[in-house]
Amino acid sequence: MIEVKELHKRFGELHILKGITTTIEKGEKVVIIGPSGSGKSTFLRCLNRLEQPTSGVIRFEGEDMTSMNDKQLHAVREKMGMVFQHFHLFPHLTIRKNITLAPVKLGLMSQQEANAKADELLKKVGLSDKAEQYPNQLSGGQKQRIAIARSLAMNPDVLLFDEPTSALDPEMVGEVLELMRELAAEGMTMVVVTHEMGFAREVASRVIFMDNGQIMEENEPQAFFSNPQNPRLKEFLSKVL
Amino acid sequence: MNFFTQFGDKLYSTFIEDDRWMYLADGLKTTLIVTFFAVIVGVILGFLLAVIRATHDKTGRLKFLNFLAKIYLTVIRGTPVVVQLLIIYFVIFASINVDKIFVAVLAFGLNSAAYVAEIVRSGIMSIDNGQFEAGASLGLNYTRTMIHIILPQAIRNILPALANEFIVLLKETSVAGYIALTDLTKGGDIIRSATYEAFLPLLAVALIYLIMVMLLSWLVSRLERRLSKSDRG
Repeated sequence: MIEVKELHKRFGELHILKGITTTIEKGEKVVIIGPSGSGKSTFLRCLNRLEQPTSGVIRFEGEDMTSMNDKQLHAVREKMGMVFQHFHLFPHLTIRKNITLAPVKLGLMSQQEANAKADELLKKVGLSDKAEQYPNQLSGGQKQRIAIARSLAMNPDVLLFDEPTSALDPEMVGEVLELMRELAAEGMTMVVVTHEMGFAREVASRVIFMDNGQIMEENEPQAFFSNPQNPRLKEFLSKVL
Repeated sequence: MNFFTQFGDKLYSTFIEDDRWMYLADGLKTTLIVTFFAVIVGVILGFLLAVIRATHDKTGRLKFLNFLAKIYLTVIRGTPVVVQLLIIYFVIFASINVDKIFVAVLAFGLNSAAYVAEIVRSGIMSIDNGQFEAGASLGLNYTRTMIHIILPQAIRNILPALANEFIVLLKETSVAGYIALTDLTKGGDIIRSATYEAFLPLLAVALIYLIMVMLLSWLVSRLERRLSKSDRG
């Protein structure tokens, strides 16, 4: 589904990504872990071209994203949802409008269809009673669940999660991870940057360890956590587990 | 007793005799018309300039338009509005017989646009970049993101500053007399030159401006209260 080849990203003098090559298959749940500044968020943001790669190839369902024009890029992003660390809900719109804005404005659904979809998604994320409220009336965990519902309203083929629980109070992490587990069980293709090792161990079909702009190790979670090979990964795991 | 009769006589000669109060009434009408349409010109052009400037700052596109916008802002904000008014009337429309109200609307509108543009631009730039990214990640293009996500939030943030700009504009139109347009200020001045009595007509003019500004300020503060109330958290 997503194919990445020799991906490099530089910010001026800084060389953030130093040749990433990997493939994400349909239905996979890829969890990316690594220390701060390892480039994992930048890598994720390159996947939907919120960051423009300096060189390399990213293919989404066979099409090269790095050379796309804006129109093609927007079409790809419709199929590629993203959940941010700080939610980025639209504060001036009700929860319902947050969810329905994109599908309606892009002409994918009528307002009525989108409203029905929003009701269904709100039920799924357990926030049916919040439809007419505004984002700032919700707790962090609720906001993130709405952000996930907003992405799902576009019927994406893949969801990218950029540290979805890092900005949450500890007691709210669980509700968001629970929802992500549900999505994974339903077969959603997911790429998750996170520090939640428990989630990686239980949900991931593959775990990637990034350090210093490179993939140092990738494996299925059992072997990844019980028998790490790379010395940097061993050191990292010994600190976080 | 003498003082009161004298004062009564002055009131009579200033406002009642020859229906002189009409100068103030007609002048006020002109002032309001010029301000109203200048605000419309200022808002439309100001938003356009602001979106050009902000788009360039955010995306690096529209280089040439941004360059023109910057020159416009520099020139308009760097020269007095009276001079701009005179140039438009006596230079640009010198050979054409043109309605003075139209000239005044154009001059004050073009001038106000520059200030509105900077207010709106600061409003757009104050919106968290995450809002742009959230829009983009949902497949919305830049224009749609701007219209449906960024501008509604930006406008809400800048409404008080924008309203204050309109109050300033209302007072600035008092120089319209330079092109012999009979606005409120000029109306008072005509009475002064007819009666050789300066105090009462000018005091009346000042009072009328003051009342209008206080009224507008009151509306602005009500607006601010409403906004902060609906600003949940």
